[in-house]
Amino acid sequence: MRNDGMVGANVFISGPKDEMTVEHTIFTLQGLPKLKSYHLYAHFLEEPSKIMIRRSVIFQLDHGDYHITCLNNQRQQHNASQHSATKQHSSYSTKMNVAGRPRGLVAVSPTTNSSGSSARAGVVDVDMYSDIPSFELSLDEFEEYALARLKVLRKIEELKTRNTPQEAFRSSLSQSLKTNLPTPKIDTASHFILRAAYCRSEDLRRWFLAQECKLFSFRLEQCKNIRDFMKRNDIDLEMVDKTEKERVREKLLSVPGAPSPLEFNSTEYYRVPFVEALRLVSSRECYLERGFAYVPLAKIISIVEAKFRSALSKSLVLAGNNSNNAAVDEHTRIGPLLKSMNSQYTGPSHVANIENGEALTAANVDASVRSMPLCMSQLHAGLKRDHKLKHQGRLQFGLFLKGAGMSMEEHTMFFQREFTKIMTGEQFNKQYSYSIRHMHGKEGKRASYTPYNCMKIVMGSPPGGGEHHGCPYKHYDEENLSALLGKLHVGSVAEREAILKLKRDGNAQLACAKHFEVVHPGASGVESVSLDGVGNHPNAWFTASRKYYEAKEGSGKSVKMEMEVVKQEG
Amino acid sequence: MGANLNEENEFGNEPSSAGAAVTAPPAPNADSSTVFSPELLNIYYNRLFPYHLLHSWLSYDASVSFAPGSAKAAASSSSSSSVLSRREFSTTISKDGDEIYKRYQSFSTQSDLASAIRKQCPLKIDIGAVFNYPPKDHKSLPAGKLQPVERELVFDIDLTDYDPIRNCGCSGASICGKCWKFMVMAMEVMDRGLREDFNFRHLAWIYSGRRGVHCWVCDEGARNLSNEARGAVANYFEVTLGSDRNKNAHIPHPLHPMLKRAHRILEPHFISSIITEDGHGLLATQASWTKLLLTLPESANPVSCELEKKWRSPKNTSTPEEKWTELKSALMSFIGKSGNSKAPKNMPNNDRLRIEHWPIETVFKYTYPRLDINVSKGMNHLLKSPFCVHPKTGRVCVPIDMEKVHAFDPLNVPTLPQLMRELDEYEEQNKDVSSDTTVYDWQKTTLRGPFEHFEKFFLQPLLKDVRKSQLKEKREESERRAALVGDF
Repeated sequence: MRNDGMVGANVFISGPKDEMTVEHTIFTLQGLPKLKSYHLYAHFLEEPSKIMIRRSVIFQLDHGDYHITCLNNQRQQHNASQHSATKQHSSYSTKMNVAGRPRGLVAVSPTTNSSGSSARAGVVDVDMYSDIPSFELSLDEFEEYALARLKVLRKIEELKTRNTPQEAFRSSLSQSLKTNLPTPKIDTASHFILRAAYCRSEDLRRWFLAQECKLFSFRLEQCKNIRDFMKRNDIDLEMVDKTEKERVREKLLSVPGAPSPLEFNSTEYYRVPFVEALRLVSSRECYLERGFAYVPLAKIISIVEAKFRSALSKSLVLAGNNSNNAAVDEHTRIGPLLKSMNSQYTGPSHVANIENGEALTAANVDASVRSMPLCMSQLHAGLKRDHKLKHQGRLQFGLFLKGAGMSMEEHTMFFQREFTKIMTGEQFNKQYSYSIRHMHGKEGKRASYTPYNCMKIVMGSPPGGGEHHGCPYKHYDEENLSALLGKLHVGSVAEREAILKLKRDGNAQLACAKHFEVVHPGASGVESVSLDGVGNHPNAWFTASRKYYEAKEGSGKSVKMEMEVVKQEG
Repeated sequence: MGANLNEENEFGNEPSSAGAAVTAPPAPNADSSTVFSPELLNIYYNRLFPYHLLHSWLSYDASVSFAPGSAKAAASSSSSSSVLSRREFSTTISKDGDEIYKRYQSFSTQSDLASAIRKQCPLKIDIGAVFNYPPKDHKSLPAGKLQPVERELVFDIDLTDYDPIRNCGCSGASICGKCWKFMVMAMEVMDRGLREDFNFRHLAWIYSGRRGVHCWVCDEGARNLSNEARGAVANYFEVTLGSDRNKNAHIPHPLHPMLKRAHRILEPHFISSIITEDGHGLLATQASWTKLLLTLPESANPVSCELEKKWRSPKNTSTPEEKWTELKSALMSFIGKSGNSKAPKNMPNNDRLRIEHWPIETVFKYTYPRLDINVSKGMNHLLKSPFCVHPKTGRVCVPIDMEKVHAFDPLNVPTLPQLMRELDEYEEQNKDVSSDTTVYDWQKTTLRGPFEHFEKFFLQPLLKDVRKSQLKEKREESERRAALVGDF
């Protein structure tokens, strides 16, 4: 066990090898700072055949008892006869041991609030996630819930980057919430799992925090009774009493957006330190006096949001420090799961997508160009013309091909065919095949790289001379883009103008989505075509386009066409 | 340089021995306009720079003594965890005609700080944030490890931002008493706002040496603000003022209490220094009032035509102030807001509001503080240290007494040559006095006023608060320890 003031500690547990029930047990830990909750990492010295961790396990700290709650990685063996007793302590001896094989992850939170957990059991629309939940999850559920939440957060990001109108945003998000996070349990569990997965780096934390805050504000806006919500979550704000309110009446009324003088008497005001109302301070939407902001109930959402944000931000940083301190390492079964979580998402939809057996091959790639978004068809054209691609281009195009289902062998064959028009096979093997194998996770650190999404391409470095990577809608000037679209016969003049207008307004991704619409007329009516990621991920564009042609032309025809290509090549 | 001093010195023809010591190395190419030279700067850093003030301020440690007398011997704890040792200093030094900017310097004691400055003789010293590690170690720390953790909340106001509305002939770096009024107004508005709205109490206003002022808010709460909070405070004070000619600022109404207070402060200044002939003359000549009337909303044309005609008549001898009052009441009665006038029936509400707000927006446009808010927003933004000397003017960045802010004249701030002269004079006059009570050489010059004021009215109250919070911390720490071992 570490005792250096961090909020995490490792606990090494030894017990009978078979059927270890870590239950009715007290672990006494000393010297931990007084905090609301801890992450304790339990390491079981032997791997018992069966582990039961129940809520009745108590960690006795210097300042009160703490409950184990479970993020247990062992498959739970449910015992029908639940033990409700929590006070029969100490049936196992416990040992603190430094050299153990880490086996499980246990989160610990205070034992006190039995009332709190029963409140949580009811329908809770908005959760501050201030208490670490206590229930058991299987490893499968663990992963499933986490991915479900990722889908929601991704959706939020997508809707926001597209500047979706309020109404559409709300309906789209509630739909996504209903499908992915149907119960409070899944919601709570997935939040905490992702917390653990996204605490590891500054970038991940920032992304997670941004999306979670948007989700939180969305839910808070839907919340009928904010006062009730505040009470439930122990948000105790100081209400401005009557005399005080009268004293500053004129001031409060002259704040932009203040209630009318008629509504004023029935409006509740709260007094909070100005640092808790930064958004309102920044826009001068509250009255300030002596470091306190006077906020009407209608604007209190902003305060609650800020509280949520700062609490989450803090706990992410703390957890981040902890996970960096080697608690979740490669040996645990959860560690790798958490580590890959953020790259998992694009996984399911865009990694090696070989459904329907329509694998992309060196032979049929040329025929598939019509299904590629402009950035990729530009790279393809560049490769065909120059018989080589520079580093950035090879990465962007290569990973896209990989995502579209092209195997490493086909990938190598395709590039070799082009590259060897200007160099020998030996040169190609020496200089380029390594990087292709690397891309497919066969070399170096053997990471399986995911295809670039639009954000990455748009924000990436613009193409220099002889380079073809990047996003044409972002990195080309209007004249070039216009000429290119004309040359490719993309839609009518008016349609091209509509695309160009979006580009002019700086909406590269919308322009690209518009491009899709124009060249795939009626796509939204085709059932098998999912327009979800079009304009957000080149592979989504590609998949949608392929599905579109499949539906329009019948899969037989497209296969036949590819056969012809093979023949020509042969 | 010596020649220069003697020229301006009334005792010039008989330089004292002490004076000779002060003005030791005569500059080879000194001419009568020299206000700044490496030699003068060297003497300033060696004899006049108030290291102990800078040190006891930036230490934020009540155990560091600041009382004159004991301060000279002050050697505080040099542990690398002290606030001072984690503070970034940057210096601009001149080397072979090039200006070199050295960042990430830090000093753990006053004597380290003093000897480094004396050795480098920097043209400018900037103060940065307090970091989690001593910034001088930045090269040995892993990338990204060095993070700013605290920093005064600072504001930078500069007259160059007032160029569009300066009508006194000054622009860019030049200043006169008329345009300095803008700074006075800005300081008043910001000082009141920071104190009354945010409850900050330890504000140091410093003349930037040429054409602006800096404000250092040093309360513990202010030093610990996040970047986001700094941005919010800065935005709170920022008002979008119309920038192009004939474009008025549009300030949201109703007027926020902070802006109402600002307006109460600013309108008298507007009347006394903006519209008058000896001010910026906004309503003093026909050309200027015609220009001002053109900025009225189009719907108020009848009013401006009538007034224009009336004011142009040779019989009209009204003062600018009377004109302003007349203009305002004409506008109010035009939209039916005052007295027995009747409102025009078919005026859109929007026009009415624009006319009603025009006088306020005009006052703001010509008087409201124009902040460089990017300086305030980031914890890691460097700002010139107080007590530096501006290389172009030779003037010392002296603290400004807000009680007497109206009397502060930037053109009266001592320059290096003037200080040298004062030192000479003082030593000449007191050479026979054996019991000289001064501790610091700056006490022998006109720097005494501003420096002592800084010490007495800024530094001492600040350190008193620091001591209080240190005691509280200590008590809490011992209580926590007692709780841990179960020993109360």
